Amino acid sequence: MFGYILRRILSTIPVMVFVALFVFSLLYIAPGDPAAVIAGDQASPEDVEKIRKSLGLDRPFLVRFTEWSGQILSGDLGTSMFTGLPVTELIGQRIEPTVSLMIVTLILAVLIAVPIGVIAAWKAGTWIDRLIMGFAVFGFSVPVFVVGYLLAYIFALELDWLPVQGYTPIAKGLWPWFENLILPSIALGLVYIALIARITRATMLEVLSQDYIRTARAKGLGQRPILFLHALKNAAVPIVTVIGIGVALLIGGAVVTESVFAIPGLGRLTIDAIVRRDYPLIQGIVLVFSFVYVLVNLVVDVIYTMLDPRIRY
Amino acid sequence: MTDTPSTSIRPPASGAPRAAYAAAPDLPDILPPARVRRGFAGFAFRHPSMAIGLVILAAMMFIAVFAPLLGTVDPTALAPIKRMRSPGAEFWFGSDAYGRDIYSRVLYGARISLIVGFAVALIASFTGLVIGLVSGYVRVLDGFIMRIMDGMMSIPPILLAVALMALTRASVENVIMAIALAEVPRVSRLVRGVVLTLREQPYVEAAIAAGTSTPMVIMRHILPNTIAPLTVQATYICGSAMIIESILSFIGAGTPPIIPSWGNIMADGRTLWQVKPFIILFPAIFLSLTVLAINLLGDGLRDALDPRMAKRI
Repeated sequence: MFGYILRRILSTIPVMVFVALFVFSLLYIAPGDPAAVIAGDQASPEDVEKIRKSLGLDRPFLVRFTEWSGQILSGDLGTSMFTGLPVTELIGQRIEPTVSLMIVTLILAVLIAVPIGVIAAWKAGTWIDRLIMGFAVFGFSVPVFVVGYLLAYIFALELDWLPVQGYTPIAKGLWPWFENLILPSIALGLVYIALIARITRATMLEVLSQDYIRTARAKGLGQRPILFLHALKNAAVPIVTVIGIGVALLIGGAVVTESVFAIPGLGRLTIDAIVRRDYPLIQGIVLVFSFVYVLVNLVVDVIYTMLDPRIRY
Repeated sequence: MTDTPSTSIRPPASGAPRAAYAAAPDLPDILPPARVRRGFAGFAFRHPSMAIGLVILAAMMFIAVFAPLLGTVDPTALAPIKRMRSPGAEFWFGSDAYGRDIYSRVLYGARISLIVGFAVALIASFTGLVIGLVSGYVRVLDGFIMRIMDGMMSIPPILLAVALMALTRASVENVIMAIALAEVPRVSRLVRGVVLTLREQPYVEAAIAAGTSTPMVIMRHILPNTIAPLTVQATYICGSAMIIESILSFIGAGTPPIIPSWGNIMADGRTLWQVKPFIILFPAIFLSLTVLAINLLGDGLRDALDPRMAKRI
């Protein structure tokens, strides 16, 4: 068990190295000269050259990459070109709203998606199944910001049930924090719910046709214990896999959702960084998000072995 | 449908003479031959959701091609005096903050979204096909290529596209390339998986034993079998590319603001959504309908082309 976890952790190293290399070279080949941008329109060529030297932008690729990797490993993501603050500090300031949003969305989505997927499989072919699957296709087809505006318009502007926009730190109380996150997490979670519900239904359909389900039914077990104890347990691996993979959707969607609901998180920071072409900041954000994504999928792989003791690598 | 001999005597559906069955009451009812519907009506009867998808998609393509003839005006024409008009006789879908006609912009926007969707699907499938074939067939390169794909896949697609767009000038071509590049790893993995299973098939082994050259094996025996799953995947990519385009434009990292794409129209309405929600509403309906149509088509194709996959997802 520990040997497996250790090997799995080691196997993420080449992936992370590639991500680092990719992110670094992306911005290395970027057109547009950050030194010229910082110097401004009035600067003379000598000034630009001086700034370039001070930023270390004139040295060869591999030298800069090795140095940069070393810095990252020691926890230093560099300095933002625009604000002059360390990237880690900027990310640290903005991380709470994003993490809150993603965790609430994740929990909400799983709590909604798995039961409706199970029900759809149970009632396969009926109108309930069609309704749920229709909803899933709809969830795939509507962009996250459209859902966001729609929800905000109906539940905040027209009905006035929930706050329109903004974010309250969790330190100021659990309800104010949660209240602000309800609409954003439903908007962000819709695609995710659709994805998980579809996989849940498909896997459950397969499991429900197995012999041991017939046996459970034959010995007189009720519908609910069969569905939720026998079947769902055996359908867990693909569902957990998709929950892990789907985190990529959450990360991408968070950038947009935060902008719709004016949540001061990493997503807003990303947009600002892109507009200002703040390369170290963009590098830092992409790296942090990718690291989180790789980590989530690492945890998912470890969960496999707990869900299904037959899985050994 | 029951085939068991029935003791009850029911008159046949078609008006057969009474004596014909009264003489032999023990025979099972003979059903009239099933009427086979041909043409589009028959297709729509058998695959209703696919037919709905086709009709909507055809309508959108019609709109895209004949946009100038459908009562539109110049979608970029400014009319500051008539800005922010609500939908009415003059502006069917209202006008935006610069007095541009939203109806015309939405209709012309169909061109951009469809071009982006189809181009991304084509480029990503073709590139992914080539990489997947090489990776699945040239075993020496497999590990290396798949580590690169793993690395690219651990950067969430929207974030990858956003980072790529930050490097380049805003243009439709660059948006297409950025989204396609983000989709390539998934296609390569799919094709590689199919190739790996096909390689072990007896008929491929037989072909190799008979002295077929490697390019011939790939062209004649491997490639045709990857087309079905690839087509299904390409359909989904087409839909998701349209959504990603709108998201990129919405956060200001997509097509240049002057081009009337659905994402750009919605981005223009972003600051006004609380007072003039229709600016976002109309392009949102068109975009969602189109993506919905493509997804319905994809689900239908998947069920038709690969019954085994249909059971799984």
